[in-house]
Amino acid sequence: MRVQVNARNRGFQFEARPDEQVLYAGLRAGVDLPYECGTGTCGTCKAKLVAGRARDAWPQAPGRKYLKPGQGEILMCQCVAEGDLTLEVSNFVNASDPGACTPGACSGLLRDQKTLTHDVMSFGVELDRPRDFDAGQFVVMAAPGVVGYRAYSMVNYERAARRLEFVVKRKLGGGFSEWLFGSVREGAPLALFGPLGKATFYPAVGRNILCIAGGSGIAGMMSILARATEERYFESHDGWMFFGVRTMCDAFFLEELSRIRGNFPGRLAITVALSDGPVPASAARDWPGLQFAHGLVHEAVKHAMAGKYRNVRAYVAGPPLAVDAALRVLLLEAKLTADNIRYDKFT
Amino acid sequence: MTAKTFVCRAADVPANGIREVGTAGGLKLLVANAGDDYYGYQAICPHQDVPLCEGLYDGSVLTCHMHLWQWDVRTGAPIGLAEAPLEKYPLIVEEGAIYLGVQPSALDVGELFHGIAPRCIEALVALARRETHELGSVLYRPGDPAADFFVLEAGRVEFLIGRDDRTSPGGFMLKKGEVFGWAALLDGQPARIASARCLERSELLRINGRAALQVLESEPAAGFDVMRRLAALIARYLASSGAK
Repeated sequence: MRVQVNARNRGFQFEARPDEQVLYAGLRAGVDLPYECGTGTCGTCKAKLVAGRARDAWPQAPGRKYLKPGQGEILMCQCVAEGDLTLEVSNFVNASDPGACTPGACSGLLRDQKTLTHDVMSFGVELDRPRDFDAGQFVVMAAPGVVGYRAYSMVNYERAARRLEFVVKRKLGGGFSEWLFGSVREGAPLALFGPLGKATFYPAVGRNILCIAGGSGIAGMMSILARATEERYFESHDGWMFFGVRTMCDAFFLEELSRIRGNFPGRLAITVALSDGPVPASAARDWPGLQFAHGLVHEAVKHAMAGKYRNVRAYVAGPPLAVDAALRVLLLEAKLTADNIRYDKFT
Repeated sequence: MTAKTFVCRAADVPANGIREVGTAGGLKLLVANAGDDYYGYQAICPHQDVPLCEGLYDGSVLTCHMHLWQWDVRTGAPIGLAEAPLEKYPLIVEEGAIYLGVQPSALDVGELFHGIAPRCIEALVALARRETHELGSVLYRPGDPAADFFVLEAGRVEFLIGRDDRTSPGGFMLKKGEVFGWAALLDGQPARIASARCLERSELLRINGRAALQVLESEPAAGFDVMRRLAALIARYLASSGAK
C-alpha cells in the first residue's frame, strides 16, 4: 500500500505492508514522522485522513482523546492502511537524520526473566539479527496473546547488539507486565519495532550530564551510563544521576550503579532518593559509593544541584508526575534551555 | 465607537502568573502578568492543541509543558525549540480592568516581520493589497513571474511542486502571518517553482517584493533582521531533522 503524507513543509511517499501501522512504515522508510510514545497514548502522531481507508488497530487507545471528533483524525501509530492512503500532518516533517539508527521490525526470544523487587522484573531479548540503537532509546514490544505494543527502554548499550536488556514495572491491568509477571516466559517469542525516541546521549554532546529517573525510568539512564562509561566520558565531564524510588526495598541496580561510580569516583555522583520514609542507616554502609537522600527525586535534584547547572544536558524519565516536577525544576530554577532537556513521559 | 471587549480584571491574573480567559465574543486568551504589564496571547499552543495555561511561566518565559516550546512573554517570539511565534492580542488596562486592544496586522504577527521597527511595518502595510480568494482559486502557477509575496491573514493555502501530472505536495500554510511566495524577495528567482491554491476561502496581503526590499533598504537594521529570518525560514524548508 502506498502512503502519502502531506506535511506543512512538503510531502512524502512510502510503502506500508499489510497490517503495518502507518507510523512504523514511515519511520522505517526514513521519514521522521512526529511521535513520542509510539503506542497510542500521547497523541503526538495524530494526522488527518484525506483520502483512502484506514483501520484503527486499537479504537480504545487513550491517545484518541487528543483527536478532534468528526474531522477524520487518526493516530498514525494505530492506523493500518487498507489501500492507498493520503494523510495530512500539520507539523514540519523532514527526512530522518542520517546519523540516526533507522527503526525496523524484528523478532526475538525472551531470556533470563529475573525478579529485581516485588514489582520490578528484568529480562533480555535475544534478537533474530543484530541491531543498532542509541543510548536512551526504546523499542515497542508485543507478546503472544497480548493486544498491542508496549514501549520499553533498553538498559544496555552496544552497537550491533544481539541482545537487548529491559526492566518492567508491574502494572495492575497492564497487558504486557501482567503477562510477564504471570508466569515463566523463558523463550517466548516477542515482536519488536524500534529503536525509537530522541532522548538520546552521544558523547559529542560535550556537556555535563544530569540524569533524573523515577522507578523503571532508570532503564534508559543505565544505557546512557553504559555508553558514557565505554567512552570514558566522565573523565572529562561531570555526571550526576538521581534515582527516585519509594523505599530501599524498591531500589534495584544498586550494584551496577556502584560499579559504574567506581570507575569515575572524581566526577560521577549517584544519589538514590527515597520518597517514603527516612534513609536507613544500613544504606550508606552497604553502598558506600552511592549517596542517599530522603524525599522526592526532583527535591533531591534541587537540593544537590543548586549552582551546578552550567553546561548541563539533562535526561529525565519516569512516571508523568515525577517527570513534570523535574521539568519544572530544570526550567524554572536551573534555567536550562529546552534543547538541553531530554525526556520521555509515558511510563 | 464600538464598546471595548472586556477580558478580565487585572486582579484575576496572579502576579507574574498566567490565566486562561474567555471573552464575551467567544475568544479564548492566555493573559500573562509580568510586573506592571499584561500580555494577551492565543490560549492554545501553536504546536499541538495544548492549553498554554497548563504550562510553566516564570514571569518572563512561557513554556508549554508538552514539548517545551517557549516564548518571550513580552513579544510572543519563539525561543529555543519553538517553531512558531504566539499570536499576540494587545491589551489595554484601565482602572483595574483589562480590555482587548486593536488587533495587529498579519504582517506584524508572522515570523518574518514580527517586531521590526514600527515605521517599517507601517510602510509595508501601506504597500499591502488585501485580497480575498475563494476555495480552489489558484494564486500562481510554476513559471508565473514572482513579483509579489503574500502574507496569510486567514484561511489555508497549499503548494504543489512540479507541473502537469508530475507534482508533489510542497506543504501548506494555515497560520495568520505566514509568508509565502518569498521568491519575490530573492535575487535570481524571477519565476514561481510551485503552484499555490486556496484550500478554503482565504484572506491575503499581497506585497510587491521589489517595493518591500526598498523599504527594508531604507531601514538597514530591520532589513538585516528580516533577511536573517528569511534565511532561517528557507533553511527550515530545506532541513533534515538533524541531531539536536
